[in-house]
Amino acid sequence: METFNNSKPILLFLLLPCLLLYSLIAFNSSSVEAAMHTNNWAVLVCTSRFWFNYRHMANTLSLYRTVKRLGIPDERIILMLADDMACNTRNKYPAQVFNNENHRLNLYGDNVEVDYRGYEVTVENFLRVLTGRHETAVPRSKRLLSDEGSHILLYMTGHGGDEFLKFQDSEELQSHDLADAVKQMKEKHRFKELLIMVDTCQAATLFNQLQSPGVLAIGSSMKGENSYSHHLDSDVGVSVVDRFTYYTLAFFERLNIYDNASLSSLFSSYNPSLLMSTAYYRKDPYKRNLEEVPVTNFFGSVMETIHTDAAYKALSRINSGRFEAQTSLDQSVHHIERRMPMKVNDQEETHNIIPEGNKQLLQGEEGASKCPWSTFCNKFRKGENVDILVNYGLVAMIPLLVILTWLVQ
Amino acid sequence: MAEISEAHDSDSSKLQDNGSEAPQRPESEPDFDPKLMRKTKPGLKRLFLTFSVLFSFLLGFPFLWKSVEIYRSPLPFSEIDSLSTQLRSDNLLLPLHFHALFVGFDSDPDSVRRPILSEIAKPTSQNPKCSNNYTLSVTVDLGSRCLRSPTSSPHSSSYRCGSITASDFVQNDDVAVDERLASVFGGKNNGYSVVVVKGGSERAVVGKHRHAWMVVGDGSEVEVAALKVAELLVKVFINGGREEGSIQNEFMPVGTNGKIVLSFNLLNADPRDWVYDWDFEKIDDTLLAPMIEALGPVANISVESQVLYHTPKALFSYWNQKLESYVFSTKDLPFFVNSNEWHLDTSIAAGERSKILQFAVYVPSAKECPLLLQLPNGEISKTNGFVSPMWGGVIVWNPRGCLKDTDFESSAKNIIPIQDLENMFEVFIGQFRQLFGFKSVNVYAGASGDWNLLPSERGFTEWELDVLSRQQTCFNLHSCVTTLGSLSRLVQSLPRMIIMDEIGKQARYQDAKLALSNASSGEYEYSAASSGKARSLAEDAFLHPSIMSVSYYSFEHCFAVYSPFFLPVSMHVMLAALRELRRYKQEKAKYLAWKAKEKPAS
Repeated sequence: METFNNSKPILLFLLLPCLLLYSLIAFNSSSVEAAMHTNNWAVLVCTSRFWFNYRHMANTLSLYRTVKRLGIPDERIILMLADDMACNTRNKYPAQVFNNENHRLNLYGDNVEVDYRGYEVTVENFLRVLTGRHETAVPRSKRLLSDEGSHILLYMTGHGGDEFLKFQDSEELQSHDLADAVKQMKEKHRFKELLIMVDTCQAATLFNQLQSPGVLAIGSSMKGENSYSHHLDSDVGVSVVDRFTYYTLAFFERLNIYDNASLSSLFSSYNPSLLMSTAYYRKDPYKRNLEEVPVTNFFGSVMETIHTDAAYKALSRINSGRFEAQTSLDQSVHHIERRMPMKVNDQEETHNIIPEGNKQLLQGEEGASKCPWSTFCNKFRKGENVDILVNYGLVAMIPLLVILTWLVQ
Repeated sequence: MAEISEAHDSDSSKLQDNGSEAPQRPESEPDFDPKLMRKTKPGLKRLFLTFSVLFSFLLGFPFLWKSVEIYRSPLPFSEIDSLSTQLRSDNLLLPLHFHALFVGFDSDPDSVRRPILSEIAKPTSQNPKCSNNYTLSVTVDLGSRCLRSPTSSPHSSSYRCGSITASDFVQNDDVAVDERLASVFGGKNNGYSVVVVKGGSERAVVGKHRHAWMVVGDGSEVEVAALKVAELLVKVFINGGREEGSIQNEFMPVGTNGKIVLSFNLLNADPRDWVYDWDFEKIDDTLLAPMIEALGPVANISVESQVLYHTPKALFSYWNQKLESYVFSTKDLPFFVNSNEWHLDTSIAAGERSKILQFAVYVPSAKECPLLLQLPNGEISKTNGFVSPMWGGVIVWNPRGCLKDTDFESSAKNIIPIQDLENMFEVFIGQFRQLFGFKSVNVYAGASGDWNLLPSERGFTEWELDVLSRQQTCFNLHSCVTTLGSLSRLVQSLPRMIIMDEIGKQARYQDAKLALSNASSGEYEYSAASSGKARSLAEDAFLHPSIMSVSYYSFEHCFAVYSPFFLPVSMHVMLAALRELRRYKQEKAKYLAWKAKEKPAS
């Protein structure tokens, strides 16, 4: 017992330099990749079928309208709608979808391009869109063709629970699946920053497994909470919008493409008493300060532009001999900075981030030299190597079976 | 079953016991204990039966294993690992050979070589993944003989003394001088040559090929010239005259399959005012085709064009009385492109992973014509265009005389005049170069003097293409190796995943190896092409549609399916076999004991 107690400080001493060293390495490696934000993408998913889930489609279409209004073009929006409420026979207003009982705005008006509809909206297709693993026949418009400079908005709404989101009333997207897809996207440099916004019951639990850097996640409710609809449209006969989405839209209706309201102002605009749930955001894998990130970084698209200062005079020079230098041209490149509320220094903040997995690895190695049992406990607590644990369990079952058979005879 | 066999077992032993006791041996054998001995040999029938069942089970096991096996094409894991460690441990070294030739100087080549070498060796803030491996040779041409340093270098020795004289540079035709130098140095090796000539009017020119020359005055020092040469080598020949740390050095607008689609769009903002068409094929043949051919090693480029109507711009321009035109300023540029009305991305030719670059000519409508771009300093832009990195470029073209609409037939279909079209495409080429990070101004202003840059009719000069090839090779190789590494990690983490033969064919490390060896031998073009192929294949393998974790069940699942049937059955078979074996041994021991007893007795 005494030796065990003694080992703890030693372990700490050993651990500390390793962590310091690691943080240095992490700092160096992350400062190398300083890719610039070049374009915006949006993946908007409504996962539930049936007429009584009208509001989920209305939520998604409202978000679709908002991001389009703020400048993301149709070819960079992947819209997935699990059902077609506009053409549902129970819809009193055929080919129209409303998100408010005042019926002022028809969401299904002009230029709505649905990329995945009806039974195409499956967990598999959703993961294919994220990871980019499509059959060759899938057209470009159905693919997420983002690159290392892309900011992606991923909005999902539907029915969910503890660490899952239901698709089509028949299958589920688990938090592990989502985290795995995001990790593969990161590995393949498919995004620079990713904002995941989920409006479902217990939405926050869906982010539990996320670890990839550059990912920001916000959900409508904490674990154990429900997300409620905002109001019922007695004319349509069902609820038309969810609370979380309703207040998100209320925030965006005040904005235009030139505005630079920050993400933190969006996140602080959610009032728990109005939402009847607690909007929860997870920013630990995300490096930047939310007050310095304009919402148009995700919900809109502001082009990065550079003025062209000279033509390449090759053709007109073919036959002329000696030429004079074009010194009159101003050589400064007019670089129009992206609208930033403040200058952001990426590199200063990166050193805080130590990827969770590697920290565990360090601790694991450290512990192994000291006390095997604590390693095991650690692993068990952190859910590491669950597969091995299960395998051990299965092996342990065999002797039990042998004994039982022995006793029975 | 166990109980039955137990009962049977006890019965049979009783029977045997009875059998052994049945003859009722006389008292002459009082030490025969029926519990420890027997006189007959134990039977093998039961043992044989149980073991045959067990063996049939054991024989069936490989068949079962084979039937639930998953096909996994073998991937070269160890080779991929070794390749990535090789690339990570020693940086990719790309060789560069420089040759400086001094004509009309009579100084020691070693003393000239040293300052240049020290300038070049200074670390530059370029891509940390790939570095260059420089060699420098200096020749001083004295007319009849040459002084060389180092004395034997394959790149300087190919130069014949006296073939370049000061008289070559007297003429004012830079292009002719460039051709003359090209014929002297030849294009067979990858050396970059700089010629410094004393005597004549001062000028410094970088040619279309891999040469530059500098004419200095009679009284000028060799050290000053050497410094300028060193700057040229580092800033122009190594970095391509690009600004350090500019964004374009990170991004290459090339798709992951090494393809670019250039989509040229003519946008008629309001066809009710006027409609313009263009003779695209002609311009494609004369201007674009040579450029596309030149860029062949870096990217596989295809071109398409379309004319669109009803494409208003997204921003508002205002009337400027002084300029008598409508003006929009550079800070509004991000909002110029109207992405909801400009349906540019209509290409079906573009493959899944190729990069589409949009180039748009915007023809303003009558109520906003002429439309000019005002720079922050109040001047009017000469090109009237802008680029967006990784997206493409836009030019505003104002129809001639659009203000005085008296002599204008709005209904007729107009063709953009060929002169305007040529100017427009020169701007487009400038924008395309800008997307790659090159400037189009034909002067490089260095710290130690200016250099004129000769433009190539192919859009990119040879040394610029070299810069691109080097960058592309480096980028492709790293990307290919990391992709293969991710693939091998992914495949190893999902042991129940089917790996098709296609993936096995695509996950090739040989292409990357070939590119690596080409790169280190200085074959930029080949290495760029083969590294592009390697990267494209690696991407194909990693993004193969069959790799989806949700489609595959784990080993636990397999175990859970088969164990409820096989585990209980196999337990009984094995236990029965074990027990039979033990019983047989026991009985045999009894028999042997009796045998041993009988022997001394008889």
